[in-house]
Amino acid sequence: MESVQIQQASKKDFDVVGKKVVRAGAVLAVLGKPSYTADIATGDLVYVKAVRSSCVHATIESIDTSRAKLLPGVLAILTSKDIPGVNDAGSILSDRPLLAEKVVRHYGEAVAIVVAETHQAAEEAAMLMDIAYTPLPSVTNPNDALKPDAPLVQERSNLVKHMKIRKGDVERGFSQSDLVVENTFKTEFVDGLPLETEAAYSYLEPSGRIACVCSMQNPFDVYGKVVKILGFEKAKLRMIQATTGGGFGPKSDETPIDVAAYACLATLKTGKPALAQFTRDEAMIIQCKRHPFIIKNRTGVTNDGRLLAWQSELIADTGAYVSKGHLVLGRAVFHCTGPYEVPNVKADGYCVLTNNTIAGSTRGFGSPQVHFAAEVQMDLIAERLEMDPVVFRAKNILRPGTRTLTNQRIEDPGLDMCFRKAVALSDWYHKRKQYEQHNKGTSRLKKGIGIALLYHGNTLGPESGDFATVHIAITPDGKALVETGLTDFGTGGMTSLLMVAAEVLGLPYEDVRMSRPDTGRVSDSGPTVASRVTVIGGRATFEAAEIIKNRLSRVAAERLACSESSLIFRAGNVYSNDKPERRITFRDLVVEAADRNVELKSVGYYLAPTTNWDEETGQGSPYNQYTFGAVVADVEVDTETGFIRVGQLTPVYDAGKVINPLGLLAVCEGGSIMGTGYGIMEKIVTSEGVIMNPNLHTYWIPTILDCPEIINSSTVESAGQIGIFGAKSIGEIPIVLPAAAIANAISWATGVKIREIPMTPDKILAAIMNVK
Amino acid sequence: MKDDKFTVSFTLNGKPCSVDLKGNERLIDVLRDSLDLKSVKEGCGAGDCGLCMVLVDDKPVHSCLMMAGQIRGKAVTTVEGIGDNRTLHPIQKAFLETGAVQCGYCNPAVILAAKSLLDSNPRPSRAEIRRALSPVLCRCGSYVRFEESVLVASGEKS
Repeated sequence: MESVQIQQASKKDFDVVGKKVVRAGAVLAVLGKPSYTADIATGDLVYVKAVRSSCVHATIESIDTSRAKLLPGVLAILTSKDIPGVNDAGSILSDRPLLAEKVVRHYGEAVAIVVAETHQAAEEAAMLMDIAYTPLPSVTNPNDALKPDAPLVQERSNLVKHMKIRKGDVERGFSQSDLVVENTFKTEFVDGLPLETEAAYSYLEPSGRIACVCSMQNPFDVYGKVVKILGFEKAKLRMIQATTGGGFGPKSDETPIDVAAYACLATLKTGKPALAQFTRDEAMIIQCKRHPFIIKNRTGVTNDGRLLAWQSELIADTGAYVSKGHLVLGRAVFHCTGPYEVPNVKADGYCVLTNNTIAGSTRGFGSPQVHFAAEVQMDLIAERLEMDPVVFRAKNILRPGTRTLTNQRIEDPGLDMCFRKAVALSDWYHKRKQYEQHNKGTSRLKKGIGIALLYHGNTLGPESGDFATVHIAITPDGKALVETGLTDFGTGGMTSLLMVAAEVLGLPYEDVRMSRPDTGRVSDSGPTVASRVTVIGGRATFEAAEIIKNRLSRVAAERLACSESSLIFRAGNVYSNDKPERRITFRDLVVEAADRNVELKSVGYYLAPTTNWDEETGQGSPYNQYTFGAVVADVEVDTETGFIRVGQLTPVYDAGKVINPLGLLAVCEGGSIMGTGYGIMEKIVTSEGVIMNPNLHTYWIPTILDCPEIINSSTVESAGQIGIFGAKSIGEIPIVLPAAAIANAISWATGVKIREIPMTPDKILAAIMNVK
Repeated sequence: MKDDKFTVSFTLNGKPCSVDLKGNERLIDVLRDSLDLKSVKEGCGAGDCGLCMVLVDDKPVHSCLMMAGQIRGKAVTTVEGIGDNRTLHPIQKAFLETGAVQCGYCNPAVILAAKSLLDSNPRPSRAEIRRALSPVLCRCGSYVRFEESVLVASGEKS
């Protein structure tokens, strides 16, 4: 019923939704006002620095603090024994201590924290700590970790999770195929790398409660862990999200818990305000990475290009602690064939512990890895079939009435719409001919064009309870205040919520404000992950605004002597549709309602329908709705240097009803650039578990000079089943496809086969030499 | 130890300013901690990310790589000095109009790099804009929006 109501709502003309607005908080940002954690840390601050393991896997024999303690300015040194509550900082599973007890399991694991009067004293003292380790056998290759005699990373099997898809009969599918193509693909650890490193600032309130301001995505998750670490009653801690300089996943996982706990422990110990902030190298060593995957894809097709069978084996290295690894694997497996209908599918995914850096949430959450492998596989098959990749894909894409690898029926034409638009906008067929001519006449600079398609299950789906809570209060000046524990860290999600509230209440966008997410003020709103703020949070905002609108309608109907159902709330006025001259300003209506003691605060709650699938076969409907997309990449390959220039990306997404078009554009362009970096630049280099490039001069992310010259971003609108006004997720999704589209363009231009990312010049050059 | 201190005078956001230094302070720390100019961000402390960009005599400088003692007699500009709530700088205005703000963390540095460019080259080409903004990293990838903002601020585009 609800979805019917929402669908109808989407048919009306919108006053605010779909219009260009100035993002919430943008004025503060361009003025450089202090709003990030370290900017607002004041008072007689103490500084906290973690002492980190230099070993990859070792027992801790002794911790000698004597030299460190003598350093002037050092106030306290805390180890696991000094934790008043529970030594558990794992974001979901309780497998990760805040401070190592007997064993360290990865390079850089925290063993102790130093609290000092200055940042310098804390850093120097950390270096004076004498910790004796006895090395243990370690394992840093996930294939080795699965062997029976492998060293155990934790006191459990190194195999964290085995996920399965069993659809049809894959062997029969292969035997009926005219062609079977098998390839192994490899991706690397990369860092989401929010430019503001993890930071937390805590202080004692006069009541004795500790307030902690933190750069993070999920205030309630951090709060829940830190309150236990401190051994506090719930009311003695309050967690506030500061303006957050990028999230990208790492700030939804382990490290915000760490810095918040460090700061709060320091405040508890000293009574003073405390600041804990990672340095860049610390952030790059510790924060959760994108999982490296090894993916074997075996695919059977008929000579006329119909997919008959698909078998995937996926191995994901989650490092020394699970973090979100089991969930990342789930999303990866649920998307491993790409957006195609395949009658027979068998997939086995393994999430594996190693003594590597921890991998967790990173924008896209398993989807970029599997789409790279699936979409390059599709081109390698098309080449063998001597078929244009567009023609081959068109025979197999998920259209209304087709079924995914989990046998979920797709009713949505979004993929076909994106696909057609991307092919048209990129001038695909013309460019293929033009570049073919060009490449015949040149030996050095080859031009290529490649395409890739995606589907992306929306919001949490199988990952956990997909709910949101949003509070709205109308202030006496006739404006609305939206409060929630959902957060914005550059995504634009909060702006979408303000737009939804303004739309329902008939207020100008400028009259709706937000407050900082604060666990002391709002109820648990679920995590800000899985691109779910607009889609799910929008529904809760709609609920909250409707409650207030209904209460105000009763007052207005009496006052204007008309029926409630005839009332229109629009542009700060309320009037009767039948007699528009009968009107009252929203502000006057609020004053009147307040006089009558009408409650002008509300809480909106929305819980997405539970999704179902079978553990043994993976069959069912793991997601409530899907976002679709297509990306075409135009590249130029310098065959003498191996250097890739991405001239143009043409991303087209079906984001359903677009709520905040300017925000969506920024996210589509930004994700395209981040995805380009993932494809051709970024790699965390490890040597036996030690990170070799934890800095921005040897780990390169795209600068404006690496940005594609043109990003011709556009959307199609095919309404989602559950999202507010038919909206679908978009935040993470634009990072997913550039790597595959670029790889396919390079292959077509040069004849090299690409099965690994990043496609750095050395690798491209070596591959070109091989072809020659 | 007091005797070790020395005073450095310079112009800060158009006004005379002097600070007492020991001599080992980085410019970024003096700006953020002593002068409370929090728009200057530290992203790496190694000159890689450009988030600590300020203008020294109208030229972009990484304030994490400059010692505070080096600013004697020079003019330092931060974002606090180029606009406020009532009168936004044209680049700041263009940032809002084109949707250039995402997480916002790099914005002060980008705005200063853009201002320096426009002050010396009022009608820059796209290539010139990219070159001028290239020292500053933006992980949200607002680069196309930044480029649009500079074009709007220069009057090249509306």
